[in-house]
Amino acid sequence: MTVHDDSHPESDDQDQGLFSLDTSVSSRAYVAEIWKRRDFALSLPIEELQSSHKDTLFGNIWHLGNPLLTAGVYYLVFGKFLEVSRGVDNFVVWLIIGVFTYQLTSGTILGGASSITSRQGLMRSFRFPRAIVPISNMIGELLAFAFQFLVIVVFAFATGAGPSRRWFLLPVILLIHTAFNLGGSFIAARLNDGFRDIQQLIPFVLRLAMYASGVMFPLDRIVGRNDLVDWLVRLNPIASLINFYRWMILGTELNVATSALTVVESLLILWFGFRFFKVAEYKYGQS
Amino acid sequence: MTELSVRVTDLHIEFEVFSDRRAGLRQRLATKEGSGRRVIEAVNGVSFETRRGEAIGVIGSNGSGKSTLLSALAGLIKPTSGEILVSCEPKLLGVGAVLLNGATGIRNIRLGCLALGMSSDELDDRVAEIVEFTGLGEAIDRPLKTYSAGMRARLHFAIATAVQPEILLVDEALSVGDKEFRKKSRAKIESLLANAGTLFLVSHSTKQIERLCTRGLWLENGKLLADGPIADVIAQYGDDD
Repeated sequence: MTVHDDSHPESDDQDQGLFSLDTSVSSRAYVAEIWKRRDFALSLPIEELQSSHKDTLFGNIWHLGNPLLTAGVYYLVFGKFLEVSRGVDNFVVWLIIGVFTYQLTSGTILGGASSITSRQGLMRSFRFPRAIVPISNMIGELLAFAFQFLVIVVFAFATGAGPSRRWFLLPVILLIHTAFNLGGSFIAARLNDGFRDIQQLIPFVLRLAMYASGVMFPLDRIVGRNDLVDWLVRLNPIASLINFYRWMILGTELNVATSALTVVESLLILWFGFRFFKVAEYKYGQS
Repeated sequence: MTELSVRVTDLHIEFEVFSDRRAGLRQRLATKEGSGRRVIEAVNGVSFETRRGEAIGVIGSNGSGKSTLLSALAGLIKPTSGEILVSCEPKLLGVGAVLLNGATGIRNIRLGCLALGMSSDELDDRVAEIVEFTGLGEAIDRPLKTYSAGMRARLHFAIATAVQPEILLVDEALSVGDKEFRKKSRAKIESLLANAGTLFLVSHSTKQIERLCTRGLWLENGKLLADGPIADVIAQYGDDD
């Protein structure tokens, strides 16, 4: 009845049945290890989510209440008081889509960077593939986004942006978005483990990226003045990822070439991020 | 002759630490010195072999490398050089083990079991067993942050031994429990040894080590000073004071 791993790829000392615990395994074996602990990766963020609002009166209602209030504030300020449209139809929904989807990206990356330092106790006590730590952070952010998305849907329906066939593509959009976020999270986690100073810098990088991603205002406002800015905006996958959601809900224009580039970029970032993170597997949780 | 369970060959573990006294930024940029980085040799050329059914007590003063050795055996620290071979993945049990402080005891048990690689199918049965073994009663539904050190130790011991590890590494964790729990944990360890398991016990209580262990390892400054029957090693350790 022992629960241990029988599938060790290398057995250095066959006649004695001894093996080394060295984790420098192939990517495939590493992914298999992660898959074996999927229940762990899933329950870690769920437990955190459930205990996060425990000391408030309304408890779990805040998971929905928080994004609802955020969207409400934007609705009041931009929809009622200022009546800003910035040349966009249904600006309030356009804006909250931008804010919440960008928050999913920034939260996953920032959380990934800090997770590797905040989960040291867990990593010092148990042996498991360290990629579980940023992955479970990513799952936690996705769970929080589920509530935010619900709020987006409520506001969209209330303002007449009803469902369409485009909505069936939501899983695909989420998958591409998550690939990018997780890749970025892996990179940030490894960098932050090496230099703790990174954690101080990431919020500024993310804020800069926010302005370059058309979260609060359409990108055509900053495009066309400077070649460098134009190129950065065109190559910025976050802008395009946010636009996927706007296209799905509001029917904004979608550039096929840019979208294809975004898919490629997201997958590349995930692939690179995973390799980059895995190289330093043994170092996490030790300093 | 019984089978080997652990073979450690010329193990070296170095740490790079930052000391508090750092030089100013200008000096650091100019000379590359004074960054406060220092290399510490926590384990320095240790070799030994253990067999199934052996209970090994590891003794030595604070900072002698005992805990580092155990972490390395558990695969949590990569050796700088040398080799560690094991017959089965060892489970480490330490007082410092941290799970989720805000979650209840029972949720922490579930998480701990999953972290150890248990599947969710067998989880429910095992969790009931572990709850029973901890003897924490109602406290099991309280958040971990309300637990005393002794209660935490009970929880961790129960989780780590629930998977019936062939190699169990215990770091100081037994000394914090109360009398009744110590008795229970000793019974658990004895059954583990009877099932051809291997135990490594780090403790400052030589009394406790003498009671549980058959063999002793004495570490000082990362070097193995003595390896032999527990009574002899403790006698040598005592003479040194």
